[in-house]
Formats: sequence, C-alpha cells, structure tokens
Amino acid sequence: MGEFKVHRVRFFDYMPSGIRALAFNGDTERMAVARMDGSVEIFHCSDRFFQEKIIPGREQCGIEGLSWVGERLFSAGLNGGITEYDLTNQKVKYTIDAYGGPIWTITGNQQGTHLAVGCEDGTVKLFEVNEDKIQFERNLDRQKSRIVSLSWHTSGSKIAAGMMDMIQIFNVETGHSIHRMLADRGVGTSRSKECVVWSVVYLSDGTIVSGDSVGMVKLWDDQTGTLIKSHNVTKCDVLALSVSQNEDSLVAGTSEGTVVQFQFVSMVLGKDDKEWVRTRTFKNHTHDIRAVAEITTAVVSGGMDAQLVVKPLLDKIEVRSAASALRKIHFPHRRLVFCARNSGLMLFQYPGHLELWRLGESEGKGIPGSSLFVKRNPEKLLHLKVKGEDHIRCSAVSPCGEWIVYSTASSLRLYRLHCDNNNVSITKISKLPKVLSSANQLCFSSDSSHLFSASTQSSVHIVSLSQSGCKFVGTLKPKSGSHQAIHLLAASEDGEWLASANSDHEVHIYNLQTRKAHCTVPVYSSAVTAMGIHPTTNCLFMMYADQQMCEYSIEQKQYTDWSRTVQRKGLHRLWMERDTPCLNVMFNPQNPSHVILHDTYMLCIIDQSLPLPDDKTQFYNQLTLKSLTEDQRKSHSHAFKVCKTFKDILCVELISDQSLVVVERPLEDVATQLPAPIKQKKFAT
Amino acid sequence: MCVLPFKETDKMSELTETQIESSDDELPEEVAFDASKSAALKSVKDALEAAKREKILLKEKRKKRQQLFQEQKKRKRLPQELLEEFDKEPQKQTGPSDNKCINKKVSTKPSDINKDKTKTGNMPKRISKSLPDSYTVMRIKDESAAKSLQQKAMDFIQSRLYGPGTKRTTNAELLSLKKKRGASKGAAVEFVNKKLGASQKARIARSNKRFIRQQKLIPF
Repeated sequence: MGEFKVHRVRFFDYMPSGIRALAFNGDTERMAVARMDGSVEIFHCSDRFFQEKIIPGREQCGIEGLSWVGERLFSAGLNGGITEYDLTNQKVKYTIDAYGGPIWTITGNQQGTHLAVGCEDGTVKLFEVNEDKIQFERNLDRQKSRIVSLSWHTSGSKIAAGMMDMIQIFNVETGHSIHRMLADRGVGTSRSKECVVWSVVYLSDGTIVSGDSVGMVKLWDDQTGTLIKSHNVTKCDVLALSVSQNEDSLVAGTSEGTVVQFQFVSMVLGKDDKEWVRTRTFKNHTHDIRAVAEITTAVVSGGMDAQLVVKPLLDKIEVRSAASALRKIHFPHRRLVFCARNSGLMLFQYPGHLELWRLGESEGKGIPGSSLFVKRNPEKLLHLKVKGEDHIRCSAVSPCGEWIVYSTASSLRLYRLHCDNNNVSITKISKLPKVLSSANQLCFSSDSSHLFSASTQSSVHIVSLSQSGCKFVGTLKPKSGSHQAIHLLAASEDGEWLASANSDHEVHIYNLQTRKAHCTVPVYSSAVTAMGIHPTTNCLFMMYADQQMCEYSIEQKQYTDWSRTVQRKGLHRLWMERDTPCLNVMFNPQNPSHVILHDTYMLCIIDQSLPLPDDKTQFYNQLTLKSLTEDQRKSHSHAFKVCKTFKDILCVELISDQSLVVVERPLEDVATQLPAPIKQKKFAT
Repeated sequence: MCVLPFKETDKMSELTETQIESSDDELPEEVAFDASKSAALKSVKDALEAAKREKILLKEKRKKRQQLFQEQKKRKRLPQELLEEFDKEPQKQTGPSDNKCINKKVSTKPSDINKDKTKTGNMPKRISKSLPDSYTVMRIKDESAAKSLQQKAMDFIQSRLYGPGTKRTTNAELLSLKKKRGASKGAAVEFVNKKLGASQKARIARSNKRFIRQQKLIPF
C-alpha cells in the first residue's frame, strides 16, 4: 500500500463565520444561509445538504435577513440596502437603498408580489417585485421604535411587526396599525431594559407567535389583540422562530443554543381542541442560535458557533437512512487550501487575504504512527491582502509555485512569485486581458504554462503565462446546456484535457489542443464534489455528494469497466453513510492503480486492482489486516483503505517527494475563538 | 491764615509734615493757589494717563493674542493651494469613493508653499503632488451619516446580546466544563491547550514576581 511521510499542518487558522439567517425554498428544496461576514450559501437539502453555491461577502456588510421570492433571493442588512442575488453566476445582481436606515428584517408575502422590510427609523417599507428589479411602493405608518421583525399573514392583507416592547399588526392596504400588543418586560434586571421582540410568526388562523428577549414565546390573538398563552422557554433571549409549511409545528431558537419545538396537537387523544404544546428540546449548539428553519422532515438551525445543524424529525421519517441522521456542517464544501506540488508551498485562502507557507522538513525515519523530529519549521512566506472590500471567491497556486492568482466578485489579480532561498518577492501582473475580470473557479495547467479561469455562461477562458506576462489564448464554451457557474475545474497531466463541473450537475470535457468541447459526462442526480484526471490513463474520476463515485474514460468517451463494476456491485454501507463530502481526488504517480480521497474525518486510498468489498466484509479493516500473515492479508484485503488518524481535515495533498500533506483545523481551536457563549449552570460543576 | 480747599489736604499734609519736622513754632509756609491747583490738575492728568495707558496695554495684549490665534489656525490648515484643489474635487465626485479619506496635517512652512507654487503649473489628473497616489479627497460629512447609523445599529445588537446584563462566560470555560463532565475527565482547557492559557499564565507569572519583589520575600 505504501508508506507516506505526512506533514500534519495545523497552522491554517481558518475561522468559519457565524450564521445569521436561513431561508428555505420549498419548491426547489434549497436552503439559503447568510453568514455574519456577508456571504450567502445555497445548500441542496435533498442532495445530502451539499453546498452548491457560495456568494462571497464583503467587509462591513451586516446582513440581517434573507427572503426567497419564487426563485429569486433577496437579502437586507444594516447598511440600509436590499440586495438581489444572481444565483446563476453566484454574485450580487444589484443593491438598492431603502432610505430607512439600517434594515433589520426582510420578508416576502406568500403571493410573491411584495417584499416588506423593517427599518431602524420605525417604518415598514413595501417594495413591489417586478420582473427584473424591485421598486419602492409605499411606507406603512411610521412608528416610534425600530422594527425588528416582520411576518406577513398568508392572505397578504395584514402584517405583524415585532418592535421594542410591543407588537403591532398593520393593515397593509391602509397602512394603519390595527392592534398594538405590549410585550411584558419580565422581572428582575430585565425590567430596566426594553424588551426586544426578536421574531414574529403570523399563522393563517390569526395567531401571532412572538419570541422576545425575556425568553418567552407568546401566542397572541389578532382579532382582539390580546395574549392567549405565554411559554417561558429560557432565561436568556429567544432569537429565532420558524413555523412549518402545514403550520402544525413551530421551532424556537434561543441564546443558549437550544431549539425548542412546539406542536399544534390536542391534549386529549381524539378530541379536536388543539393547542400549541411544547414538545421537544434539541441541544445541538453551544452558542447563540440566530436562525432556525423547519423543512419538511428536519429542523435546520444555525448560529454563532458557525455550524449548520440539520436535525431530522424522527416522527416524519419512515426509513432509517442517511437522511435520518443528525448532520453538522462545519466547513465549506470547497477547497480553501491549495498546494504547489513541485515546490512544497501551501496557499491558504482566507476571506480577506492569502497566505503562502513553505512546509517544514524533518529528518530520519520512523515506524508507522510515530512523529519525526522537525529539522526546519514551516515558515510563512507571503501575506497578501485583498485590495478593496470584497472577499476572495477563489484562488490558486501553480504547481511550480511561481504564480498566484485570486479572484473576488469584482476583480482578478495575478502575481508572479520569485523565491530564492530566503528572499521572497512578488510582482503583480498589471496588464491582464479584459476577459479576466472575475472568475468563479481558477486552475493552473500541470506545467504552469496556462491559467484556466471559469467565468459566466459556464465557459472557461484560457490565458497563457510566460516571463513577459500573460496573454489571452481562447475561450472554451460548452456545446449546449445550462449557464450555471462552474465550481470545479480539473486539468490533465499531459496538458491535453480540461474538465469542468457546474452547479447543474453537468461535467464538460474540453480538448485543449483544438480548444473545443470533447464530450459531456452523463448527468447524475447528485452534484460533483471532487474530480481529478488520472495522469496516465486520462480517466476522469468523480466523487458525488451522495458518496457515489465513477470513472469516465476521456479518450473512449464512456465509463470505464471498473466504474461499471462499482455501479453494479454497489458501495459498502459504511462508505455511503459518511456525512461529509470528498473534496479532493489525487493520484499517486508511483502506483497508477491508487486513487487518494479524503473527507473531513478520513483519508482513503482506493486500490483499483483489489476486489471491491461487499456489504458483509469488514470495511475498516486496516487494523485487522496488520494482525494477519502475508498470505491471509492478500485474501482479506479489499479496495478501500481508510485511515482515520486525522480529524477535521480541510485538505489532503500528495506532493512530489511522495509525502502527504494533511491540513487539519481542530474544532476545539475554532471553538476558542468564537464569540462568548451564555453561562449555563450545569449540575455538578 | 489761608483757606485751603479740601482736595489739597494730602498735599498740604505733606508740606505741614516737613514744616513740623523743622520747627513746631513757626508759621506754616505760604503756598500759592496756582501751585496747588497745578499740582492737583497734574495728579488728575496722571491718573487719566495711567488709565489710558492701561487701556492701550490691554488692547495691545488682546491684539497680540488674536494674532497668535490667527497664526495657529493658519498653521493647522492645509496650504491654500491644496484647499482650492479640494474645493474643485468634491463637486466632481458623486458617490462615496472606496478609499478612505485621511486628514493630513501639513504645516505651512515657507519651503512647502514655494514648492507647491512652482509645481502647480499644469494640473495632471492626480489631485495634488504633495499627497501620495493612493490618497483621495472626500468630504467627511457626505459619508459619515450612513456609516454611523450602521455602527449604532451594530452597537445596539452588541449591547443587547453581549453587553451588561447578559450572563456570558468564556469559550475556555465552556470547553473546560465539557471536559469535566465528559466521559474521560480532563483538566481545564487553559492547562491543556498551551496557546489558550499563555497570556493568562504570563500575566500571573508577572504579578507573582512583582509581589515577591514587593514583599521582599527573597533576600537579595
């Protein structure tokens, strides 16, 4: 199988950003997630919650709310503007200023005609959603305190607004306030502070549910404007509320990190008098929960601990499958670490800067499992800050280590790196071809002579790199198909082929000599999470979000025999039950039958020459194989060699001197740098 | 015996004193009316003049102070040429620019002014040669209103969620409690994770050293 020297890298101080808002689109089964740094991510709920699209944020964004109107996504924030996103190209379409000061909440009505935003100055502004833009229609009556949360009634004729110390119901047509309900300030120290009604939900039967800073979930009647019932859920704030599609279940997220579920059931079995009863409590977070959403079979919550937690509701699920397990998504499903294979340099992509490190050196040999003495420490060579306020969307470093490129939503920058032993100098290539204005994905060719930049309409621009600078060579366009943005690029070792995968599950392969489309891999129902082209056989190996894999021969334009065997036999149950996607596919030049993969919790080498395991064989059999004799080993080993020594893996790369680099980001280190959590008194502490 | 007016008692007393010193029996000397009158007028004039002088002095002081203030103000302001150039710039720019404005205090040294005068022959696109390339000119009042509202909103959220009255603890404590109640009990995170406790440990070590030195517990 092979012994590898492993560089265990833990100096990538990646900090995920906290989740601020969630919005679920029931028709397309997509969950939009807004983070504190302004980035918006789209997860595909039925495709193992794969992170399909990422729209990078910018400095000082202050995003506060997200709302779907049909298939369009809008957000609003403390900078006072409403932003619409272009989901095809994964960028901001436009931003318009609402002129009401910071916006605290945005919500669309069920008819999909209007958007309402709640502003700092106390107005609820209505915007009409047109074909291409939104237009300001009118203000509802201006109130004295800020509007913190809004909720439309299903009919679209009334809107409930949560403000400071009160909840108001507005008649949308006249703009006047119908009822004013005062929220209690509670007892003790909270009496001196105003009670903030953090979220409201307006149900179709006229009940208004509110969550406020005293920790109460209150039910109000909108006909009389009075309180029906009040539930004390927590001592700290109730920050988020969400109701299910058929309005029989409500979830509330608190500052302590608990999600409390209320269900609309009758107290006596069989009788018809239903009421909202508190049923379940989920404690899957450590920090404040800023957003919850209830999808058909699960409760999705996210907060300041930056993890997206999907808790399936077991009473809605019949079959125990991958969909019925608790899922926590910590890291993005895109690569943030890039490696210059031939020179041992690592590029770390942060939102606002790039860091280039040289790996350390060790000496001596050791037995498997031991750590070697580090002769030379890894050193940071370059800290490259982004110009402007946008965050980095993608970046790449060439295999030889001489070129670095990064792209934000508005610009692309290419740098030449000169690295003689101790001096590192960098020069910016100023005259870039006009087509290179922004890229969704970047990739260098294996001999570092060309740069491939994925841009709009699923096309790829080719630029040649040389001593004098860079020159535009051509554009690769797919023959037909969608215009969705490309999120993966893979170039072959011999420089002949390029594969691109876009968000519509299409994989196109281009011939770089003729610069024309060569073929298209048959579309699969799941998204491609990682792909790589084999250096000798030129087969494209693809990993999908549902943990399936396949191998496609580029030259023969069909699936390989090995791939067909895998499809026929099926993969082992334990492999399919993994809940994190594979993000990188690598090949070992010394062992052509090996494919190296990794996901967040394991590193795996697939030996295509060995037989595939069936459901009855022991999957994680590395330890047992060690205890067997040589002959027994041959009969017992199967193709999947899984190593679980490393945890919280962000990237695994094979560099040229046959050593592996494993970049880990221990979750404990992330936890120490999060914002402060609420103090909770636990028994026996 | 001459009749003396009231005003001149002081003068007269002076005279009489001298007389008394010489001889007590002799008659007081005769002082002419004119002399005393002129003496009195002189004293009045002197007083008036003194008052006038004082007024003039005060005026001069005030004038000097005013001049000093003017000079200080002039010193604080950017040279005249730059101000004229800035006046032209904000009219051209419609929206807030990306680069932040930096208020540079340029002293009005004579050498500087001369340099500017000679260089303002032909104006290139750049705003001013005395400012580096990466600086742009922007009126502060155009942008500050929107920014401060956003800042106020963020401060509001920060104070409601993390401010006084909220019961917050540290991440280190959260992790330590988890370890304490976990399946395999372990020490608090600050002791295990070297990076985390480093600053606290350093501070404690320093304060220990200071205490020992203060109490002179270790003999020199």
